[in-house]
Amino acid sequence: MLAIRFHGRGGQGAKTASRIVGTAAFLEGFVAQDSPIYGAERRGAPMAAFTRIAKEPIRERGLIAHPDVVVVADASLVGDPAAKVLEGVDATTVLFVNSPMSAEQFSAEVSVVGRLTTLNLTEIALQRLGKRGAISALLGAVAGRLIGLHQVSIHEAVARELAELGLPTSVIEQNQTVAKYCYETVPIVALETRPRRTVPVALHTPTYESPTRGTAGITVGPNSAIRSVGGWRAFRPVLRPDLCNGCWLCFANCPEGAITIKPDGRPAIYYPHCKGCLDCVEVCPTDALTVEQETAATNK
Amino acid sequence: MNQIDQMMMTGNLAAAWGARLADIDYVPAFPITPQTEIVETLAKWCSEGSLNARFVTLDSEHSMMTAAGAAAATGARVFTATSSQGLLHAFEVLYTVVGWRVPLVLVNVSRAVASPITLEPDHNDVLAARDTGFVQIHAETCQEVLDSILMAYRIAEDPRVCLPAIVNLDGFILSFTREPVMVPNPEMVKQFLPPFRPAHLGFKASAPHALGTAVSGGATYSYFRHQLHLASINALGVHDVAAIEFERLFGRRYNVVEGYRLEDAEDVLVMTNAYASKGKAAVDKAREEGRKVGLLRLRMIRPWPADAVRHALIGKRAVAVLDQNLSPGQGGILFQEIAACLYHEPLRPRALCSFIGGLGGKNISEGEFLAIFEQTAEAGIRGNGIGPVLLYTEAEHREMEQLQFLAHELKTGR
Repeated sequence: MLAIRFHGRGGQGAKTASRIVGTAAFLEGFVAQDSPIYGAERRGAPMAAFTRIAKEPIRERGLIAHPDVVVVADASLVGDPAAKVLEGVDATTVLFVNSPMSAEQFSAEVSVVGRLTTLNLTEIALQRLGKRGAISALLGAVAGRLIGLHQVSIHEAVARELAELGLPTSVIEQNQTVAKYCYETVPIVALETRPRRTVPVALHTPTYESPTRGTAGITVGPNSAIRSVGGWRAFRPVLRPDLCNGCWLCFANCPEGAITIKPDGRPAIYYPHCKGCLDCVEVCPTDALTVEQETAATNK
Repeated sequence: MNQIDQMMMTGNLAAAWGARLADIDYVPAFPITPQTEIVETLAKWCSEGSLNARFVTLDSEHSMMTAAGAAAATGARVFTATSSQGLLHAFEVLYTVVGWRVPLVLVNVSRAVASPITLEPDHNDVLAARDTGFVQIHAETCQEVLDSILMAYRIAEDPRVCLPAIVNLDGFILSFTREPVMVPNPEMVKQFLPPFRPAHLGFKASAPHALGTAVSGGATYSYFRHQLHLASINALGVHDVAAIEFERLFGRRYNVVEGYRLEDAEDVLVMTNAYASKGKAAVDKAREEGRKVGLLRLRMIRPWPADAVRHALIGKRAVAVLDQNLSPGQGGILFQEIAACLYHEPLRPRALCSFIGGLGGKNISEGEFLAIFEQTAEAGIRGNGIGPVLLYTEAEHREMEQLQFLAHELKTGR
C-alpha cells in the first residue's frame, strides 16, 4: 500500500488533489481510498487529506501516520506546528513543497526531514492558468507522478473531479494542460518503501485534575483580534484610492472583518487580519482593489 | 432543633423545599406535567419573598437548561426541574453543561416517553441521560427527595466533582403523593451546605471567559472527557463523606444503594425509585410465606456503584432485576449494567433474571411480585437466568384485546 498525505489551506484544492490521485489510481485498477480532515470550514485554515492506494483491500482509515509521500500545497504550513506537516516523516519519506525555491535552497532555509522536491505551482498557475488560488489539478499531477501513476490516468481523473466541482469544460481543459506540464516538470525522487515494525506505545493512565485544569475553557477575553492570519496569504489586495467610489462592498463582503471604513468613507485593510481570499477584489465594481503577490519581504 | 416538625407534603413540594433550603439563587423554569408544581411553588415563594432567588420562565426546556448552565457558570447556585419530553427536548444541552463543569441540580420527575403519550411514570426518560455525565440519584420517598437535593448540591459543588446532578422522583406516585416529611432547620442546612464558590468559574465583565471551546485532534477532546469520567467516579467517595455528615446533622443515613432484608436473603430483587416501596412490601409478604428474599434498591445510578452492587449480590442464589424501563431490542437497561459488574465475580449469582414492569406507570400487582419471586427461585435452582420477562397480566391482556375489538368494531361498523 502507498500512502500520500496532502497538507493545504482550505480553498487551495488539497482535498480535490487527493481525489484526483484516488480516481487516477482507481482508473489504473488499484484499490483507492481518499478522505479529508478539517475543523471549521474556513478558507485559508490548515487542513489535510489522505489518499491510500493498494492492490488489495485497504484496512486503514483516517489519518495517515506513516506517509510514503507528503504533498505540501502551502509552504507556510511547514513552520506551523498545528499543521503537523512533518508528523511521521522520516528520512525515506518523499516530501513535495509548492515553493519558488529549489529543494537545495529550501533545505538550507528550513530544516526538514525527508527527501525533498519542489516546484513553484503558484507561479505556474498564475502564468499558465491566469489564476491564483485553487491548484488542485497541479497538486494532483505532482502527487500522481511521485507515486508512479500514468499521465493519462491523471488526465482523466482531473476531468472527472473538476467536473464534479461544476467547472466549465474550457477551464477543465486548461487545468489538464497545466497539470501535464507539472507532471513532466516536477523533479522526481524515487519512492523507497520498506516494511515497518509496529512500535509499542506507552499508555498513560489519566488521573483527576482540578477543574481549573480539567475544564475545557479559556480564561481570557476575546482574542481573535490579536490572531494574525496574514501568514496565510499568497496574494494581497491593495487599494487604489483614486479608483474607489466608496460603495463599501469590499467592507461588507470581507469574511474576516479585515476591512474597516475610515472617517472619509473609504476602506482600510488591516493586513494582519487579511487572509488573502481576494473576495474584496472580486466584488469591487471599479477595480479599485488590485492584487500583488506576497514575497518573503512583504509578508510579515 | 435540627428539623422543623413533620409535615404532610407531596414529592413536588419536597423538591421545592430542597431547593429553598439550599438557598438557591436562580430558577430558570418551564412547566411540564408532572413537575409543574415544583416551579409554581418556587415562583410563589420568590414572589412573596420567602425565597431570595431570581425566577425566570424560559421559552422551552432547551433554553431553560442553557440558562441554567450559563447562570451556574457565573457562580450562581441554580435549580430547575423537568420531565420526560422536556428532558429530551433539552438533550444536547445536558451534554453541553456537563462539559462546562457547572454544578447545578436538575430535578427530573419521571414520566414515560411518547409515543404513545402518557403522563404516568417510568424511567426511560431519566435513564436516557445516563451517558451525559450528570450525577444521578433516584429517590424512593418524599423525604429522600428533599434530602437528596441537599446532598446533590454538596456533591456537585465539590471540587473533586464539579458536575451537574439529577435527582429523580417518580411522577404521580411520588410527585403528587403526600406523605410525612421532616423539613431540616435552615441553619443546620447552612452547616451542611457551604456557599457556592467555584474556583474555576465566575464570569464577570472584568474577567471574561470562554467555556466549551472547540478542540480538534481527538487527543484534546479525549483528555477533557476522561476528566469528566474521573470526576463522576470521585462522586462515589464524595457522596459517602456527605452522607456521614448528613446523618450527623439530620439523623438520616443514605448510601449509594439500600439493602432491605438482604443479609440472609437467598434471592434478591433489584429495583429503583418509588415502586421499591411495593417491592419491600412484597419481600415482607414472601418472607411470611417462607421465601428468603431481599431487595436491593439502587439510589445512585451515575456514577455506577459497582462495588456496592457486587458486595450486595455476590453469594446470592438468584437475582431478579426489575427494570421500570425498556430498551427495545435489548431489554432492561439496569439489568445489563448489573450483569456487567458481576461478570468476573467467582461467587456471582447462579441466575440473573430480567423483568420489565411498570412501564407507563403500569401497576405491579402483588401477584406479579409473587410471579417474580417464583420464577427467580426456579431460575436459581436450574442455574440459568431468564428474561426479559415482560410483566403483563392475563386480565390486562384481555382488557387490551377488548379495546382492540372495540376499535375494530367502531372502525368497520361490524
